Amino acid sequence: MEQHSIIKIQDGKKYFYRFTMNQRIQHIILALAVVTLVLTGMPLKFYDTSWAPYIYSLFGGIKAAPIVHKIAGSILLVLFLYHVAYLCYLIYMYQIVPLRKKRRLTAGNILKIFAGLPLIPNLKDAKDIRDLMKYLFFLTNKRPDGARFTWKEKFDYWAPFWGMVIIGLSGLVMWNKEIATHILPGEIINFSLIAHSDEALLAALFLFIWHWYNVHFSMSVFPMGTAFITGYLPEELMIEEHYDYYVECMKQSGLEHEILLPHGVHAESSHEEGKA
Amino acid sequence: MKFLTRAGTITCYFLILIIFTIHFSTAYAADIGNCLLCHKYPGISRVDQDGKLRLFYVNEGIFNNSVHVKVKCEGCHTEIKEIPHQPVKKVDCLTQCHIIEPSTEKKFSHKNASDFLSKSVHSKTDNTGKSKKFAEDMPTCKSCHDNPLYRPLSFFKTVRYGVSEASLGRCRVCHSSEEFIYRFYNHITTRLHKSRNPLNIAQVCSRCHDDAQVIARHKLSTRAVYSYGETYHGKAASFLDEQVPDCLDCHVNRGESVHQMHSHEDPQSSTHESNRANICSNMECHPGSSPKLASYKVHAEFNLDQSPVQYYFTLFFIILTGGTLLPLMGIIFLDCLRRLFPDAVIRRRK
Repeated sequence: MEQHSIIKIQDGKKYFYRFTMNQRIQHIILALAVVTLVLTGMPLKFYDTSWAPYIYSLFGGIKAAPIVHKIAGSILLVLFLYHVAYLCYLIYMYQIVPLRKKRRLTAGNILKIFAGLPLIPNLKDAKDIRDLMKYLFFLTNKRPDGARFTWKEKFDYWAPFWGMVIIGLSGLVMWNKEIATHILPGEIINFSLIAHSDEALLAALFLFIWHWYNVHFSMSVFPMGTAFITGYLPEELMIEEHYDYYVECMKQSGLEHEILLPHGVHAESSHEEGKA
Repeated sequence: MKFLTRAGTITCYFLILIIFTIHFSTAYAADIGNCLLCHKYPGISRVDQDGKLRLFYVNEGIFNNSVHVKVKCEGCHTEIKEIPHQPVKKVDCLTQCHIIEPSTEKKFSHKNASDFLSKSVHSKTDNTGKSKKFAEDMPTCKSCHDNPLYRPLSFFKTVRYGVSEASLGRCRVCHSSEEFIYRFYNHITTRLHKSRNPLNIAQVCSRCHDDAQVIARHKLSTRAVYSYGETYHGKAASFLDEQVPDCLDCHVNRGESVHQMHSHEDPQSSTHESNRANICSNMECHPGSSPKLASYKVHAEFNLDQSPVQYYFTLFFIILTGGTLLPLMGIIFLDCLRRLFPDAVIRRRK
């Protein structure tokens, strides 16, 4: 794996390393494929709208757009398989092998490895959601102290993960209907069409509303988050979203004396000072 | 001087108009009965006894590209013997016109199509010859047909729409009349493929098969064209794909006339459950497919009575979508609001 310092200081500002080059390339392929799939799929779902023929004609209309859709779908499918293999490789190389060397490879320990993976939901996420609700309903000024990956990012990861399984399988069935119906009944095409198009609509809305809001359109990030390109997150965003991880990184880098307080604490302490 | 300039301009416009008039009047077939003397005016119309506006305009340019180009007006409007004429009855498509059908050398009529129709599911009478219930709902010729235009095809080097000039070169070796060559070419190539695209066919069928009252009167199980429109075939048809199947491709037996359509309960029907597998697996659609492919429910609707399993399956995704997005959008809204008042907080009184 490529080695990067956790904190990069540029023009006096601190940037925190978040994503490897491999992950960023995977994400960009995923993003381009998904946008292409949405643009070539939604006009078909909403075929009777006024905008559908215009979007479809950008991809060559009914003759070419379904081919573009299948190419983008195939790329996404290969990416998904690669990603699963990549995950397995990382878990094996950096978790299983060291455990085996220590002769502690038991079923319980393997289960612990999976439970402790950075993107697996845990109790901290439930606590963060509770704290976020308190913050959003004006019960506190302090945002939750997010870990390396917050519940929002885990949601962003697992929603498309589940989506790709559903949309990918149903897409393959419809693409290869002649083969599929040698094994499965014809009604599978009805169900595949419903699952493919409805899950795709959910995925598209989820990504373009929720994901884009969090990473691009939120007031503290607008107009565009750059971590998906550079791999680094600026200090103010680390404090806002990943405070626990921020403190951990600062300590690891020997910068304890430069750790800033989270936003709410500033406000609350100044409020208290004012009262005093 | 100004007057002379204006007069010159008017004269020029007039001359251009005359040139165009001469051009068009010589370009198309002669109107022997001189009916276009009146019917060439786009405004020619009247309100009939039922209060409907009836338009009697004949666009010569369009008519000359239609399949009836060779039929004289009085070939169909047989009552008209003089000009000006009295109001006339609607055209009867079974009238024998002056066209000679070359294989029998008899006068041509659409009677064969009518005979097929009378034995089909769309017949006004049942097998015993008795009038069916709601026979008035059954289609007549003009329910589905107007005066169709030629849709010539060129397949000289590539298959495309239109007349192939390269092919016409061959015709001119033996045939001298340009009008005959074009008409013959148009007729043959139009009849070698479908004269309407799938969307057009679906639109024709939808006049009755998507009409809620007709569906209720005849106890039909689906809004046929609406449900077809929800399949890939129907969606592709709406984007003017010519290759996807339309209503007729599935509901008519291969090699038979579209007028010979039968109920899906009739063993003669292509859509009868014993024949359905042959529809999908034919060479032009899904060769090599399993008979199970035909159990795909083409006319399934989001309807608890008609397709309960599909209904609940769709409902699951609707709930999943709403259940996922609405809370998340609520969080976005609250987040935007919270950022407007970053220091505001409701404090409990101690």
